[in-house]
Amino acid sequence: MKALLLKDWYLSLRYCRAFFLIVAVFLAGAFFSADNFFFITYPVMIAGILPMTLLSYDERDRWTQYSLALPFTRAELVSCKYLIGLCFFGITFLATLTAVGIQTAINGGFSLSYLFSVAAVLFTLGLLGPSILLPFVFRFGAEKGRIAFYITIGMICAVGTVLAGLGFQTVFPSDKSEFLWLMGFAAAAVYLISWRLSIRFYQKREL
Amino acid sequence: MNALEIRNVTKTYPNFTLNHLDLTLPNGCIMGLVGENGAGKSTTIKLILNMVEKEGGTIRILGTDQEKDLHVTKQDLGVVLDEVGFPQCLDAKQIEKVLKYTFRNWDGALYRCLCRTLSVPMEKPFQEFSRGMKMKLGIIAALSHHPRLLLLDEATSGLDPVARDEVLSLLNEFTREEDHAVLISSHIVSDLEKICDYIAFLHQGTLLLCEEKDRLFEEYGILSCSKETLNALPPDAVKGVQLSPYGAKALVMRKRIPLGMDLSPVSIEELFLLMVKKNH
Repeated sequence: MKALLLKDWYLSLRYCRAFFLIVAVFLAGAFFSADNFFFITYPVMIAGILPMTLLSYDERDRWTQYSLALPFTRAELVSCKYLIGLCFFGITFLATLTAVGIQTAINGGFSLSYLFSVAAVLFTLGLLGPSILLPFVFRFGAEKGRIAFYITIGMICAVGTVLAGLGFQTVFPSDKSEFLWLMGFAAAAVYLISWRLSIRFYQKREL
Repeated sequence: MNALEIRNVTKTYPNFTLNHLDLTLPNGCIMGLVGENGAGKSTTIKLILNMVEKEGGTIRILGTDQEKDLHVTKQDLGVVLDEVGFPQCLDAKQIEKVLKYTFRNWDGALYRCLCRTLSVPMEKPFQEFSRGMKMKLGIIAALSHHPRLLLLDEATSGLDPVARDEVLSLLNEFTREEDHAVLISSHIVSDLEKICDYIAFLHQGTLLLCEEKDRLFEEYGILSCSKETLNALPPDAVKGVQLSPYGAKALVMRKRIPLGMDLSPVSIEELFLLMVKKNH
């Protein structure tokens, strides 16, 4: 597993530079506008796509086939992508929360419950994307998985727009902490289920 | 103990079937897998590595059932596929670091020594390597953890004659150990003829033969004769024929033809081509 993580780390340093730039720009945006939903959530959602980006490079380089000739189990190959995804997500999640926390403190509107609401939403959105998409990627390959990701993002945006049009204004319900805890736990559970499902799909995939 | 035992293995694709394959590779030997494109050579190697699922039969690798802890067995396998699958952006040094954590018997000194011997640059990204250079690095990586069985799929294709010779020498060196073995598929039959102890012919998913190379040379010969002479031979003596306006070139079994006929030695390439023609 250490070998796989190291390999993905090298790939990330080479191919995911744009991601680091995007995160920096959007965190700057979040810093100046902490109540802007788009600036706050986009980096964690993009972090969710990184394992897929790495899988695309693996397929292009034929690493997908070669790795099966090496002493790794298929479960390890899948788990590596989930773990690297968690690393990127965790770093982006903490950076975004820090930016929101500092910005609200400077503006004098710092509130732990608000920060907790933001954390719950970020946690859910950040984990939901890869949870839905990675099983498709491990079942059908990175190309089709990527298409599914864009469709999912489009659908989330469309649903958000429709809900906003219907008057659902409270994006971060700061007075509903039980609901937020539940949402976070549900996202974590979905991520774990997705992980298990991806392993199952990949065990049967022919390469 | 045999390094590899394949028994009655079958795999079906929409337009191709690997048909009840049986192969045995003894320790200390090199077996060449010969066949046209799509004959089933790569499928055989993929089945051994469980990259595709077999529909029936059994595979034993180094005495262990393939379905049992294959990832552990793979510690003792060195594999080179037709496309070397290292990440394009990594250089040989980074690849070494990754493989160091992959194989428990990784020998960094051997890896660097082989890179020097085969003139593989250490700090150039893999994507800038020529196909031959990529293949060399693949072979070096496959050898640097002291495997007991090498599986090479078209590993000499793309190499220039000098590099091919170097690689073949490495393989010969590798099988000096009694418990080492190599299964190598190649289109370049002359390479296989140089180094192999056993030859297996695959044609359209069916194993035509699997035999010791020297025995093939003893058993088969080429008869150049007229069509009338050919027709007079016992049918079971003739294993393949190529007709031309000037006569016939026949692959025959030496023991089954009348004494006194002048036979020329057969090359592995001729043997394969004439056998395939018979099967057509």
